Amino acid sequence: MQPSPMDTTALNVVALVSIGAHPTSGRPRRAEQDARAVELGLRLAGEAMQVVHAGDARQEALRGYLGMGIKQLHVLEQPAQADVLHALSDYLLDSDAQLILTGSQAETGEGSGMLPYLLAEQLGWPIVVGLAEVERIDHGIAHVLQALPRGQRRRLQVQMPFIASVDNAAPLARQSAFGPARRGELTVTAANVCPDQLFKEGQLQPARPRPKRLKVIKAKTGAERMKAATAKASGGGGQVLKDCSPTEGAEAIFKLLMDEGVLR
Amino acid sequence: MMLNTVLPILLFAALALAVIGAMKRFAMWRRGRAAQVDWIGGLLAMPRRYMVDLHHVVARDKYIANTHVATAGGFVLAAVLAILVHGLGLHNRILGFTLLVATGLMFVGALFVAKRRLNPPARLSKGPWMRLPKSLLAFSASLFIATLPVAGILPAGFGGWLLAAILLLGIAWGVSELFFGMTWGGPMKHAFAGALHLAWHRRAERFGGGRSTGLKALDLDDPQTPLGVEKPKDFTWNQLLGFDACVQCGKCEAACPAFAAGQPLNPKKLIQDMVVGLAGGTDAKFAGSPYPGKKIGEHSGAPHLPIVSLDGKALVDAETLWSCTTCRACVEECPMMIEHVDAIVDMRRHLTLEKGATPNKGAEVLENLIATDNPGGFAPGGRLNWAADLDLPLMRDKQEADVLFWVGDGAFDMRNQRTLRALVKVLKAANVDFAVLGLEERDSGDVARRLGDEATFQQLAKRNISTLAQYRFNTIVSADPHSFHVLKNEYGAFGGDYSVLHHSTYIDQLISSGKLNLSQHQGASVTYHDPCYLGRYNGEYEAPRSVLKAIGIEVKEMQRSGFRSRCCGGGGGAPITDIPGKQRIPDMRMVDIKETGAEIVAVGCPQCTAMLEGVVEPRPQIKDIAELVAEALVETTATRPAQREAVEAV
Amino acid sequence: MSDIIRRDPRAEWIARNRLHPLHSSMQSSVTRWLSAAGVTRKNPHAVGFIGPNGIKRIDRSGAQQSSGSKRSSPTAEKQLPLHIVEQPAFHICVVPDMVGGRLSSHDKDLLGLAHKLAGTEGAVVAVVFAEHKENGFDTAGVDRILHFTDAVFDGYSPEQRVQALVRVENQLEPRHWLLPDSRNGGGELGRRLAASLSERPATRVWQVADEQSIGRAGAGQQDLHRPAPRLILASAECAEPISETRHQAQPMQLQDAINPSRSRIKDLGAVAVDPALIPMAEAEFILSGGNGVSDWSLFHQAAETLGATEGASRVAVDDGFMPRNRQVGATGTWVTARVYLAVGISGAIQHLQGIGACDKVIAVNMDANCDMVKRADLSVIGDSAAILQALIARIDAHRQGGIRDAA
Repeated sequence: MQPSPMDTTALNVVALVSIGAHPTSGRPRRAEQDARAVELGLRLAGEAMQVVHAGDARQEALRGYLGMGIKQLHVLEQPAQADVLHALSDYLLDSDAQLILTGSQAETGEGSGMLPYLLAEQLGWPIVVGLAEVERIDHGIAHVLQALPRGQRRRLQVQMPFIASVDNAAPLARQSAFGPARRGELTVTAANVCPDQLFKEGQLQPARPRPKRLKVIKAKTGAERMKAATAKASGGGGQVLKDCSPTEGAEAIFKLLMDEGVLR
Repeated sequence: MMLNTVLPILLFAALALAVIGAMKRFAMWRRGRAAQVDWIGGLLAMPRRYMVDLHHVVARDKYIANTHVATAGGFVLAAVLAILVHGLGLHNRILGFTLLVATGLMFVGALFVAKRRLNPPARLSKGPWMRLPKSLLAFSASLFIATLPVAGILPAGFGGWLLAAILLLGIAWGVSELFFGMTWGGPMKHAFAGALHLAWHRRAERFGGGRSTGLKALDLDDPQTPLGVEKPKDFTWNQLLGFDACVQCGKCEAACPAFAAGQPLNPKKLIQDMVVGLAGGTDAKFAGSPYPGKKIGEHSGAPHLPIVSLDGKALVDAETLWSCTTCRACVEECPMMIEHVDAIVDMRRHLTLEKGATPNKGAEVLENLIATDNPGGFAPGGRLNWAADLDLPLMRDKQEADVLFWVGDGAFDMRNQRTLRALVKVLKAANVDFAVLGLEERDSGDVARRLGDEATFQQLAKRNISTLAQYRFNTIVSADPHSFHVLKNEYGAFGGDYSVLHHSTYIDQLISSGKLNLSQHQGASVTYHDPCYLGRYNGEYEAPRSVLKAIGIEVKEMQRSGFRSRCCGGGGGAPITDIPGKQRIPDMRMVDIKETGAEIVAVGCPQCTAMLEGVVEPRPQIKDIAELVAEALVETTATRPAQREAVEAV
Repeated sequence: MSDIIRRDPRAEWIARNRLHPLHSSMQSSVTRWLSAAGVTRKNPHAVGFIGPNGIKRIDRSGAQQSSGSKRSSPTAEKQLPLHIVEQPAFHICVVPDMVGGRLSSHDKDLLGLAHKLAGTEGAVVAVVFAEHKENGFDTAGVDRILHFTDAVFDGYSPEQRVQALVRVENQLEPRHWLLPDSRNGGGELGRRLAASLSERPATRVWQVADEQSIGRAGAGQQDLHRPAPRLILASAECAEPISETRHQAQPMQLQDAINPSRSRIKDLGAVAVDPALIPMAEAEFILSGGNGVSDWSLFHQAAETLGATEGASRVAVDDGFMPRNRQVGATGTWVTARVYLAVGISGAIQHLQGIGACDKVIAVNMDANCDMVKRADLSVIGDSAAILQALIARIDAHRQGGIRDAA
């Protein structure tokens, strides 16, 4: 695809960001996908893009987004475990945004990934899931690439304004630098607070590891059960073909590739 | 007589020009940021620094040392006497004879300079430097002949006006090169700038046998302090002065592992580029080896222009800065004691802290360090998993121990865990009262700092210091020279002053106090690879060798060992930034190792282990000193009672 | 055939009578078994085969499979008991992904979960869009099937599909909606439906029991326990798939035809993605080369023929044969390929760490003792160039054969 000749810097792009959690340590950081959304926004609109967070402005991790070279980050002040949907949709209705970018799901809290859909519903805008690239925009119609599993892409045409969520197929976020992060400004606005009903009934617990599914043994007789129980556990060294001709070796590989269905 | 009237005019005119040039040059340096220097003390200490410390470095090459003593000594003496004799007209015979000796000495020295220049090695710069021996010869010869009448050897007025004119021409050439050329940017600038650089050096501790290798801290509390160096004027002024002192001898170039590997770095060119930056202009006049793979004449800069442009060409390309392994071989070799590594890290700081442009895996590593306290992004809770079965005493439980064993991030690396376990075995065998911080330990900040992320470094350092402050211990022992260096030399600026030992030093102490019962190493021949951060950074060359000797190993030394040891390529975040070259630094080092014919290479650093083990087999085995010592341990009585008990229990 | 073991006295007699002409064919081919006492028993007579010279040969390489087939009549397709729901008390609606027109294993897990929720009273309704190739809805546990075949549902049409599902909601008022929380469309469709129905879904659910659902929350470090909501987006392996019953898979119709409004998103079709450009971390099938690869142009040709994304070991990258962004391993990219074909890679620990998530690893190597071979599910020892060439030839032959079959 040729780089689009159109100038997207005039585009009014808003990225919604949240506080993330590092996958191994759980410490607060800029959320991976949200940072990718900001990256996409920066590529489209440059520094003119707006970045909005609904939550606690004192959270240091927010500076991670400023460190990407954004001068200002709007914070809609919200207490922990509030439903930020209304605060955000109120803000966005007034913002004359043309493109709203978000990550696919939050790294903390429920992380249901519902926010972009609910916003789209509230604003009455279309939503593109898994945006990978905006190819061009003309006359209020955007041509975008949507990321599919395993690196595949699908081209979509969508009416502006729209909401797009990005996942890990979007361009990697640029490094967050200390200098701009320190200089960047957090502007805080009060917003309507709407408590989240979820935590009245549900509760968060440390994740329980899920065991890998074992081969289900449907043994009818005692002998079969015995056999299954004493069978050598799978794994522990695969098949090794030594002293065979290249053709035999190739045949074995070919068979495995066919069985796995990766040959097209 | 013509000589007697023109010569003083010539001399004083040259001197006046030199003074004007000096003031202009000084003003150029002073464009840099303020630095704290001991103005008078430095000047007073300068002759000693010049004649002792600097000579020490130069004397590694006897030829040039003697040449330099003759030429420079002869010149200084000749210049002073020439001003007295010819400038002020003190036509004293003794002075005349002395001047003759001085110029004669200088002439002889200059002949040797000229000889070196007949077929100069690649590391030497050409261009105006090829002219220098001729200028020296012309000056000394002309002055010699012009002084003969003063000494009474020849009658005054000998040779008539023709000789006088030729002599005047020779002296004029000489003084323009040697007097005002010195301050107007000619090759002799090195003498003038070099002398002042020695006087106002930013690491005065280096003189008189001292050592100063820790990076200087950035003041992050003051938002006005620039975060690293963007433009030449962001260097401190005495750093700029230091760049100007370069004699372009190329010793750094010859020692630089990145240059040898064909990565786009040449320390000499880098310093010369900084000189271009401080004066303004292009690098077209540079007459030495270019950065490998980069043409000369395409880069330019000025004091107020950025040094690095991320999407074009400026003075220096970013990849040049990221090629450096911070091995300090250039600094070690530099006869002018220029601080290349400081300059490179200063410029890296700007790229990382302001531009967010740490290349390749750099950004990820820094993010991991912030979020998990280790560069690999491993769960912090797994820091002690390698020792799950070792029952290591924790500082938190003991509060107090003789030795605090600083494990380092090698704890997450399966190869390094073998080294760590070996070291634990040794410590236990010697009944050392030691403890580890366990999960309270964090990365020392070494990688973050060398990658220019001073903010993350300081955060890690401050947290480590506050952790260490909770406990009482006498010594920190680490098997990682990088942690060792940072803890020893770089935590002091933040209030963390400790006695820190590398494990080889500590094992050496254990051996000499008879706490270890060691057998002799069996068989294989062994060479030893000096880690940069242990050797050049901290001067520890002996302890590892004496440990190896104690287990019966006679080290087959490599050609480049000790302070000349070649880097493994693993320092300064170089494996992370991974700038491509023509070959790999560890492969080159492995060639050095193979030349000795050794079957085992002893190392003392997890980075070196990883880099050297990354070389494709077949190659010598790589073993940490701790592993070799652990293998040679004789099971002592300390373990026997336990066995007996076990038997009795059965 | 039933599984009940029946004795055949005549066969037993023949097996005992060594002189009977059919004796050898009645011998059990089992050479090693576990006796009732738990002791391994061997039948040395059953081992081996008669070679061409009439001499008994024993092949210990493992290549020889025991030839005598067990005496059994051809197994008839087992007829599983049919689960019938005549008058469903309620409905559980499942919207399977139907990747490639077939029920995926994720879909089947979901149907299993649906039956747990349906019990004996409820009916599991599969809502299927567009054409499909599945003929195992009955054994997968589908009681009713709602098939939308309108052309508007072809391709990527999430907005139209949500409108259809809203109709289903209005007509059936299902007790639960179950969708796979996958990247194959289910996750998106489920959330769109949730937003449209104003139902708060439980997402990434991996267990539903006793009216409680447990799903992953946040970045996967926490679980969210909550009463099971109406709309559940469930992860793979959320329940066991149906395996012991057959279901009616009875087609259903909506009472009123649907007439989806124009969509604001238009599908312009898939974009051809060069396997070489797929980010390594996402690639499904990687052909990776290392120090043992001598002919790199052959390697690239093999990657093209296989349709595999190229990867490399650190050494191959260091030596300049492959770009740095193709390096696999702890210091390069951690890959998640389903099939990883490693050619001439000895398997440094960092490399093996990087392929930890790979399902099937195939090694082609000269050295049978290297670590990669120990890790691999299939290893071929030999010259990599010859084997790659043979593999290319084999695939070409297969493709041409395929074309001929199609023609």
